This record gives sequence, structure tokens and C-alpha cells, in this order.
Amino acid sequence: MPQKVLYWKGCMSRFRTKTIADSIERLLTLLNVDYTTLGEKEGCCGSVLYRTGQTADALSVSKNTLEKISSLNIKDVVTGCPGCFRTMSQDYTNAFRSVPFKVRHISQFLFDMQGELRGHLRPIEAKVVYHDPCHLGRHMGVYEEPRALIKMIPKVDLLEFKYNRNKALCCGSGGGVRSAFPEISLEISKSTLGELPEGTDILVTACPFCKYNFVEGNNRKIKIEIVDLPELILRACGG
Amino acid sequence: MSDDWFSSKRDEFIKWLHDENRRRGLSRAVSSYTAARDYALSCLPHLEKIRKEVRKIKEYAVEQMDELRKIASERITESHGNAYFARDANEARKIFLELVGSNKIVVKSKSLVTEEIHLNGALERNGNKIFETDLGEFIIQIRGEKPTHIINPSVHVPKEEVAKTFSKLLGREVKPDIPELVGVAREYLRDKFCKADIGITGANVVAANTGTLFIIENEGNARFVSNAPPVHICITGIEKLVPTLEDAFKVVQVLPPYATGILMSAYVSMITSPSRTADIEKTLVYGAHGPKELHVIFLDNGRSRMLRDPLMKEALYCLRCGGCMYECPAYRVLGGSFGHNYFGGIGIIWSAFTAGEDKVAAAIDACMKCGRCKEVCPLEIDVPKMIECLKSRLVEKGYLADKHRMIKENILKTGNPFGE
Repeated sequence: MPQKVLYWKGCMSRFRTKTIADSIERLLTLLNVDYTTLGEKEGCCGSVLYRTGQTADALSVSKNTLEKISSLNIKDVVTGCPGCFRTMSQDYTNAFRSVPFKVRHISQFLFDMQGELRGHLRPIEAKVVYHDPCHLGRHMGVYEEPRALIKMIPKVDLLEFKYNRNKALCCGSGGGVRSAFPEISLEISKSTLGELPEGTDILVTACPFCKYNFVEGNNRKIKIEIVDLPELILRACGG
Repeated sequence: MSDDWFSSKRDEFIKWLHDENRRRGLSRAVSSYTAARDYALSCLPHLEKIRKEVRKIKEYAVEQMDELRKIASERITESHGNAYFARDANEARKIFLELVGSNKIVVKSKSLVTEEIHLNGALERNGNKIFETDLGEFIIQIRGEKPTHIINPSVHVPKEEVAKTFSKLLGREVKPDIPELVGVAREYLRDKFCKADIGITGANVVAANTGTLFIIENEGNARFVSNAPPVHICITGIEKLVPTLEDAFKVVQVLPPYATGILMSAYVSMITSPSRTADIEKTLVYGAHGPKELHVIFLDNGRSRMLRDPLMKEALYCLRCGGCMYECPAYRVLGGSFGHNYFGGIGIIWSAFTAGEDKVAAAIDACMKCGRCKEVCPLEIDVPKMIECLKSRLVEKGYLADKHRMIKENILKTGNPFGE
């Protein structure tokens, strides 16, 4: 019998990109996943504190979170945020040695459930480009699962940025730059959007921070849709 | 702590973001570089193996820096050159001032180490006339600017601006035609090489077992600088030392494709001693056609400290190809403002050790830790890891941006960065 899953939403999806969290919950329900969330009690994974050099606070916040999740006795955690994913996988292991649960990014989770998912997918006729989030790709080595999921959708034409996978350009929002220097962050977002292949209908990313920054950076200048991976998958499922 | 450290850098960043000329120059350079490098690497598949060997060479060599410097200095002295060791920038400038004196004409080829020790100002204050001869350095010298890239120091100046600068210098109109602009520099600098009393260069790599300096270049100016004047002074960081000539040749193969996207540089000069001849009665005389004197200054200036810092010593492997800078999303929009005396992510680490951590306290907040630099680095240097570590040290010293402090307070209070 499959184990209970904790869906860790992450701060961006809880407060800024709520449609990503909604899409993930609807997909989990559709796939009959026995899952729970921490709701209001979720708290912070510590990622932004680690990335902005506030290490002592990062350690205390993440220790708290580690204990909170451990006390649920759930071994299977899934998140839609690559920042949380990387922090809980890498930084927690570095700091606390043993982490009593396994974290997967939603793209890995859905990829592992492709048998159940496939039957739900209806065609989307569009030229789609996938953007590799830094935390998911370069930092955690997850490049192919999101692409495989996109390709599973009938009629989707998956295009690539010239620089993709380990050479992908950043969306501009990483490492605390978006809060320290919002002007720089938006400029980088625009410059990465400028590399989109001609004819792109949908830019798909797999990170709430990337989605948010691309939407802001684009400011409706280029006629494209910017969506997160679970949002695209849910749409293919008729959601 | 007041927030001057942060707001002054932010102002500099904003100026760069809004300077269309500089952005245009930079973006043209980025696209030509990446295309050329990708092509060069596709022509040199064996380089994959060599760059990994170079990583091993550097891992070994930096641990032996001090020993290698002693060996190289002995070899240089044996072959009638002079070797010096400067612990910091101040000592290096003193050695230069003694060697150069005053009222001299000095020609220079590009050397970031001379920028690091603020050499030009010191020599000029002593009444010397300095000519930068690398085209990029020449352009920014007459514009009174600072270099903004380690390989291509005037990367931010588009041709239209170069034309304006040269027109002013010559007192006649120079068109923004690139070959014509290069011609102007050639014509202007030609006689300076032969009139100069002293030539100053850096070195890209030094083979300790023979004391041989390698100078890699494309313009041919470093050849003139190190050969035409009667005195050649070379200054180089101690991390440039590798044990053997064979090791040095490996570094020489890796640098050009990654630095400028060419298969091999137009020129690689190997210099082991002053010029000499024994053609008359087998009697050895120094100063035949080349310099009579060769002086080599090995500079520490923070490098030993870097070596003793286990979390930072990887920065010493940097060959200074500058490839990571063209690939850095932040450098692409911020150019020379993203760093201090060295640029980009790796440059922030280097600036911290050679100029002081406080000098990069704000610049470091523009690094997204995206990790692209590590992917394109021929030595796979883990820059983002060092950046996070340096950032953490800076925060301990109180260099924390207001916004980042607010985020922390929100997290501690409400469990999320928005405080909602």
C-alpha cells in the first residue's frame, strides 16, 4: 500500500503563485494520491536564508522544519518549489546528516506516476519551451523528467532555448537578487525571455520563482503564456 | 552600520543598467564570444581531457606555490635574470619604483595584476609616462576608465565611442570602422615600443623547473613590450606557477579557446632569461637584440591566505580565461560594475582576497548563485559555493541588505518571507 505523501507548498505558492499550489493539489486528487499538507503551519524551509548568507538563522529555521516534518512520520515529501527541494535535499543533509524523509520535486513525482497520469492527458496544440530552473536543473540534476512529462501531452511541440539544461540562463530571481536589486532581476528576466525561440506559444517552467519573475519581466510585451509545469499538466487533464 | 556600502553599489549598478552604449558593446561581445568559443571547442575534442589534466596540475601546484616560487626564482637568477617576491601590493609597487625610477617611458601589455596593485598611478606620480599597448587597455587608458573584463578590458565600449575617443586623441575625425580604429592604435603606438626604456608585462603561466614565463596574446604587443625596450619587468601572481614546462603547455592549450574562442593564440612568448649571445669568441654577452635585463616579480597579495582557507582555495585554480563572465547572467547586464578589481562571481572572490571583503559586500548580492559559471569553467571551479560562503562571512560582519534582513525578520515572526 502506497505511503502517505506530504505536499510541501513552499512560500511562493502559498502567497504569490497560488494557482501552482491549486494545480498540484488537483493533480494529486486526480491521481488518487493519499496526501496531506501542513496548511497554515507549514513555515519556511530556510532556502532564502541560506542563499542570502544568513546561515545561523537558516540552520535554526530549517532544524525546526525538519523536526516538524519528521514528527508526522511521513517518509515521502513532494514539493513544487525547486528551492525547497534543493534545500531539503542538499542543505539539510549537509547540516543535519540524516534526513528521515525523501523529497521529490513535483516533476519527479508525476514522472514516477506516468502510468496513472497518461490516460488523463488530452492534446494541447502548442509550441512549448521548457525553462530549466537553476535549483532544479544545475543544482539537483533534474533535466529530463519535466521534458518527458511535457512530451507525454499529445500534440505538444517541445522546443528548446539555445542554451538549455546545464547551460540554461537564469530567470533572474535567484539568490536573493530579486529582493536586493529588483531592477537587475527584471533586466535579467527580460534578457532570458529575449532568447525564446520564434513562434513559442507557451513558456513552461517548473519553479514558482521563475514563473513569477518571467511574468513580471515580460509585462505582457511578448505574446506568450507563462505557466508552471503542474499548471500545464492539469490543463492537459482537462482542469 | 549605515547602508552606504549598499546604496553606492546599487547606484553604480543602475548606471550600468541604463547605459545603452555600454550594454550594446557588452552584448555584441557576448554573442561573438559564445559563437566563437562553441566553434573552437567543437574543433578541439581532445581539450576535454586536457582541461581535466590542468585541473589536477593546478590542484597540485597551488599546494606547492611557495616551493615552486623558490625553484623558479633560482632558475631565473641562474640564467642572469632577477627574481623578487612581493608579499603585498605595497611591496610590489616599491620594487617597481626602484626598478623604474623616474622620467622613464614605460610600455605595458595587459596585466590585471598591475591593476590589482594600482601600478600605473604609482609610476605616473614618480614622473614616468605609461603607454598601455593592448588595444582594449589603450582605449580605456585614454578614456580614463577602469577595465571591465579581464581579457577584453574595453568590452563595454562600442565602436562609435572608440571612434570619438580616437578622434579627440588625434585631433582629426576617425570613422567608427573597426579595421580603421585598429590601424589608428597601431600607428600611434608603433614608435613607443622602441623609444620605451622599460617594458612591463604579466604572465599567463610560469614553468618552475626552468623559470620560463609564458605570455599568451593575439595582438603582438606583448612581444614588442617584452622584447624592444632594454629592460623587461614581469609581474605575476604566485598561483600562476606550475611545476614543469609540460604542465605549462597544457595550460597554454586550454586558455585561448576559453578566453577568446580561438583554437590557439597568434603568439605565445616563452621567456627564460635576458637576451644574450656568445657568437663572438664564445663570450657570453647579455642584451643582444632583446632586453639586457629581465626582472620577475612574484606577487602574493592574499594568495597564500586563499590557499590556507579550505573553502576558498579552489579560486586559485582560476586560469583567468574570463569565459565565465560572458556566460554570467548578471555580468551580461552589469558588466564591470559586477565586481571590484576582478569581475564576475570568481572575480568577487578574488577581489575579496586582494582588495578586501568589504569592497564586494554589496556586489555579491547581485549574484544569483545560478551556477552557470561552474558549468562553463574549463576547470569546473565551484564559484557559487564560494560565493555563498563569502556572503555568510560578510553577513556575520554586518553586511546584510535591508531587504534581506526584513525577509529574515518576517520568517522568524510569521514563518514566511512576506510576513503575511
